[in-house]
Amino acid sequence: MSAEPRLYGVLAEFEDVDSLVAAARKVREAGYTRFDAHTPFPVHGLDDAMGVQPTILPWIVLLCGLIGLGGGFLLQWWTNAVDYPFVISGKPLFGLPGAVPVAYELTILLASFGAFFGMLALNGLPKWYHPLFRVARFSRATSDRFYLVIQGSDPFFSPATPEWLASLGASAVETVPEPDEPDTPPRWFKGLTWIVTSLALLPPAMIAKARFSEMQHPRVHLVKNMDFQKKFKAQQASPLFADGRAMRPDPAGTVARGDLDPTSTLATGRNPDGSYATAYPLAVDQALIERGRERFAIYCATCHGLDGRGDSMVARRALLRQGQQGTNWVPPADLTGEAVAAQPPGRIFETISRGRNTMPGYSQQIRPRDRWAIALYLEALRQAQAGLDAPGDKDNQEEAGR
Amino acid sequence: MSLAATLLSGDKLQDVELTRRSSRVALLVGGLALAAAVLLGLNEGDHLRRFFHAYLVGYVFVLSIALGGLFFVIVQHLTNAHWSVTLRRLAEFTAISLPWVGALGLPLLYPLFTHHGVEEHGGLLWPWIHPHGEHAELIAGKRPWLNPTFFALRMLGYYAVWAALGIAFVRCSFQQDRTDDPAPTVRAKRWSAVGIIVFAITTTLAAFDLLMSLDPAWFSTIFGVYFFAGSVVAIFAWLILTALFMQRTGRMQRAVTVEHYHDLGKFLFAFVFFWGYIAFSQYMLMWYGDIPEETVWFAQRQTAAWMPVSWLLVAGHFVIPFAGLLSRHVKRRLTVLGFWAAWMLIMHWVDLYWLVVPGLDSEHLTFGLIEILTSAGLVGLFVAGLARIAGGRPLVPLNDPLLPECLEFQNI
Repeated sequence: MSAEPRLYGVLAEFEDVDSLVAAARKVREAGYTRFDAHTPFPVHGLDDAMGVQPTILPWIVLLCGLIGLGGGFLLQWWTNAVDYPFVISGKPLFGLPGAVPVAYELTILLASFGAFFGMLALNGLPKWYHPLFRVARFSRATSDRFYLVIQGSDPFFSPATPEWLASLGASAVETVPEPDEPDTPPRWFKGLTWIVTSLALLPPAMIAKARFSEMQHPRVHLVKNMDFQKKFKAQQASPLFADGRAMRPDPAGTVARGDLDPTSTLATGRNPDGSYATAYPLAVDQALIERGRERFAIYCATCHGLDGRGDSMVARRALLRQGQQGTNWVPPADLTGEAVAAQPPGRIFETISRGRNTMPGYSQQIRPRDRWAIALYLEALRQAQAGLDAPGDKDNQEEAGR
Repeated sequence: MSLAATLLSGDKLQDVELTRRSSRVALLVGGLALAAAVLLGLNEGDHLRRFFHAYLVGYVFVLSIALGGLFFVIVQHLTNAHWSVTLRRLAEFTAISLPWVGALGLPLLYPLFTHHGVEEHGGLLWPWIHPHGEHAELIAGKRPWLNPTFFALRMLGYYAVWAALGIAFVRCSFQQDRTDDPAPTVRAKRWSAVGIIVFAITTTLAAFDLLMSLDPAWFSTIFGVYFFAGSVVAIFAWLILTALFMQRTGRMQRAVTVEHYHDLGKFLFAFVFFWGYIAFSQYMLMWYGDIPEETVWFAQRQTAAWMPVSWLLVAGHFVIPFAGLLSRHVKRRLTVLGFWAAWMLIMHWVDLYWLVVPGLDSEHLTFGLIEILTSAGLVGLFVAGLARIAGGRPLVPLNDPLLPECLEFQNI
């Protein structure tokens, strides 16, 4: 059973622009709506002759551009001001001027996408095939001939249409059959689509698996020089040290972070029963006194003076200005005096740590061990001062008389 | 028999009587407006300080149109443009009016060399004449460049260069009117490459000198481009309006078609955006850097008094005309296009006003009859000179080799 092939339309070939434009005008005036012209180059006036309506593409482009603009601002506002507020170079979380460049670029990007993909969509592209390509003479549409096609589906189309078209000055008229094969891609293309789609699903599947499973093996090293660097890591061997390990043992007395007992005598200066420690909770030796002398000179001597008597330059100057401009100076304590001498080391430690009266605490600047060292040094200083002040000590008198 | 005679037979390409009358009317109106402005300025009792700020606004306004015309002529030759041939003569007239614009600048010698206002403000108009205030030392360091004598000499130099460029290109065009041999047009195209570079350098420096030096401690390397962007907006608006005027008065009926207006509209739209892009580029870098020596200039324009003008520029010079000129239909509907051209010309004036007058007083918005009359006067004198220069000359290049393409040109 060989049925009459379905008709796609009728193709008319023209040899020059003028006859094409004239014919197009007549076709439009005859009432045809489903027809198209094919030319090797843009022809001025053809749109007019064919009665082509303005395209809605500009509106699509405008819409896409506006989405890009709004989306750009929204993205920056959401990410930087709402979801993860983060101050960058002192600017507002969402500063309009700073957000403009990204929104501007997104406007252009989406508008271009709108223009490109919108044009494809409005033209019905991509298209697998077109019946006109089955006509041999149509290949000249890209070189030197002009064509007019009236589709068979046009309501005005009649069996007389080809003849009428020929009378409009066409050099040739040909009917274009609708091909027998269905308008579907071939099998190999379908197969290829399946393969490509499956392959494209692999990476997301692998990511999903990695996120929800535990790995026994090291991950794949894509960038080796970042993963394997010339340095020692924990648990590695090293020929440098006698024990052959890259890891070094902690120095003696190291306390791990969080392991320090904040209630110990070492840290508070008090015994477990709450009384002040009368003994030093660490080994006392010459080195500790030296350490105390050094810390004392750095942190304490500015006010209390190098000799601990509380008449440093700061104190002397403050006394001179006493009462001026509303100052009310409380002189620093004489650390060599009776009042301080009567205090147990634990109390001195606590004073250094937390401060007392107008003196601020120094626990942030001086480590506990060094605070004990200072307390110890004060004791040494007091004894030395006592010796210095003893009558008959010639060297010291000369020293004091200077 | 010229090309135009064959292609544009029956089209009225000149109207000597009307041109002469326009020139007289413009001269009269301009002269009266300027005289009234001087009287009002004297009445202010500030040694004409306000008047000269207003004068600089109007002066730079006409200068930017004339420079835009020069740019238009050079760039059409440079790009071998077909579409613009029948419009080029209108731009050529503004280009050769540059010596006349230079003459209009002579009154600015007064604030340059007088001693009024030097003590309080550092100068009647440009405050670097006698550096004062907290930045005196900084400004004094710029003395080798910013001193009245060198400034005047530079101005002379710029105008010499612009006049030479304008006359060179326009003379080629006039020569072409009288001969079939395309040699003059070829010569103009060849020199356009050099011309555009010379134009760019001189225009940038002139913008630095005339406008940026109003705040001598402040600097912005993009300022020359900013001024250029404004002047190109101005010339396209100007060309649309003059072409419409010529056609409404019965001239150039067939020489200029809706296609030409469409292209002028496209360029106006493009340069409205270009201006916005440049203005924003200048603003954003300074906003982001947030360094006082840069932001001080914008701070002066964001006071309670001047913020509305700043917003007016953002909306009126960029956002609103951008939306208004976006559509193809607007560019092909001549009344609407004419409206936007007039709008942009006014906004260009506001832009220059915003550049100059905050220097007078950043706490108060100085706007009144003086500003309007001075600019009206200068535009009047500019138009008078323009019409006189145009004289009996044809309004389109009669023998340009690209004339046929120009007349057949269609937008797709």
